[in-house]
Amino acid sequence: MEDMIFYDRLQFAFTITFHYIFPQLTMGLSLIIVYYKWQFLKTNIEKYNNAAKFFMKIFAVNFTMGVVTGIPMEFQFGTNWAKFSELTGGIIGQTLAMEGLFSFFLESSFLALFIFGEKLMGQKLHFLTGFLVFLGSWASGYLILATNAWMQHPVGYEILDNGKFVLENFSALFSNPWLLPAFLHNQLASLVTSSFVVASIGAFYVLRNKNTEYGKLFLKTGVTFGLVSSLLLAFPTGDMNAKNVAKYQPASFAAMEGIFETEEAGAEIVLIGQPDMVRKKLDNKIAVPNILSFLTYQDWNKQIPGMDQFKDEELPTNIPALYYSYHIMVGLGTIFIAIMGLAVFFLWRKKLYSFKPLLWSIMFLVPFPYIANITGWYTAELGRQPYLVYGLLKTSEGVSPNVSSGNTLFTLLGFVALYMLLGLLFLVLVGKTIHQGPTPQKH
Amino acid sequence: MTHTLISLISIIVGIIGANIAGIILKKYTLGITGNTIAGVFGSILLIKSFGRLGFNPNAIMNLGSINFNLLSINILVSFLGGAIAVILIQKLKAKMNKE
Repeated sequence: MEDMIFYDRLQFAFTITFHYIFPQLTMGLSLIIVYYKWQFLKTNIEKYNNAAKFFMKIFAVNFTMGVVTGIPMEFQFGTNWAKFSELTGGIIGQTLAMEGLFSFFLESSFLALFIFGEKLMGQKLHFLTGFLVFLGSWASGYLILATNAWMQHPVGYEILDNGKFVLENFSALFSNPWLLPAFLHNQLASLVTSSFVVASIGAFYVLRNKNTEYGKLFLKTGVTFGLVSSLLLAFPTGDMNAKNVAKYQPASFAAMEGIFETEEAGAEIVLIGQPDMVRKKLDNKIAVPNILSFLTYQDWNKQIPGMDQFKDEELPTNIPALYYSYHIMVGLGTIFIAIMGLAVFFLWRKKLYSFKPLLWSIMFLVPFPYIANITGWYTAELGRQPYLVYGLLKTSEGVSPNVSSGNTLFTLLGFVALYMLLGLLFLVLVGKTIHQGPTPQKH
Repeated sequence: MTHTLISLISIIVGIIGANIAGIILKKYTLGITGNTIAGVFGSILLIKSFGRLGFNPNAIMNLGSINFNLLSINILVSFLGGAIAVILIQKLKAKMNKE
């Protein structure tokens, strides 16, 4: 049984990690495309329109890969997590079906119109199709987050005698206090990824002295969006999320912050340290006293319960992974603010386009927002363990009882091979699009 | 669970079908990126629409072992789905962009 749960979780972790490489770019990029199209309508400067169409090509490749890698997720609910689907289908089925029916179709239909229909529709309608693609991708994020928010903090449900969850209050799903902060934090994080992608393509063009006009435009847009979204990611949305975890999942909060023992007054914030699970302490710790209490409760001396206040079965199952995921996310977020702040400063001083070390840094930092996004999701998911639905349904109760671990391992290996192929194809297609550059077109 | 893998294989075959169609029927090609995207959606659409006739991934794995006849039909349909999507999208594109 332990083996089975391990392989089911490993397979889901692998497929969703790979899948989330794509939606995190489409959601943020759709907003930047709308911005370029709006700039074109406002100024009638052709380069904005070309920029919008260039990034829509990258969006389309990303969206397609997102669709392909999303298919196994859908299957896994039925194959590996049949018990979970059976018990909670009455609730998560609502939001997931809405995601598929409304958001996906909105996004895909208008994406095709945006790519092919510029001449047919004229510029205002073309802008509208771009806006609807943005709306579809963000609605998709919202509905997925509504599903996850219910799993993190279940609301508006009733449990029947047979153990099945049914929805008692539909609007409670969308007014869940977990949802809005998680959604905003997630969308801003995807905007950070997109900003880095846009800025890094710009840096590449400027460094190569190719498509320089567009390179400068992409850099300017990327670093500006990047600084604003990085700041908003930390405050208020990151702060709101942390407060939610402290309020609704206090054991997870203690684990992700690395608080093994409850301090008498005022909890310190740990910057660096390695969890020692045998001696239940952090090794080589660097911490700032009382800050965590202040950030969480605006009270320097407020006590925050440590892991010693909880029973073992209430604590997350993999505390080191949770702790490291959270600290990597926060650490990278801080680096993003610093880099983007520096880039905006140089932009303001009119030196960004010629300051090569910073351009190289922006270009090579592009994988890190992806890592931050994924470790952010690991924090949320590892923090919820050992539950699938927090406090109500354990992970061990949601797996399919008849699927062997060997079978799961076999399909996992198959996914790894096929995803490597798809990943390679993705890199070739995006690389080709970037190499071609934005194609200037005359009307 | 192997039917999940079959679904992914169908899509990859659709991508191959679309790109081969693009190479052979040059006037219909959408470029490698466009052909690939068309291949994905074409294969999904055709398998989802007609797979219930008996060659969808669930039917292929129905008795716990692979039915190679149904798998061959599935692969052929996926290939055709990709190829047909390229032609249809190019025709649609031409119609939408007619001066």
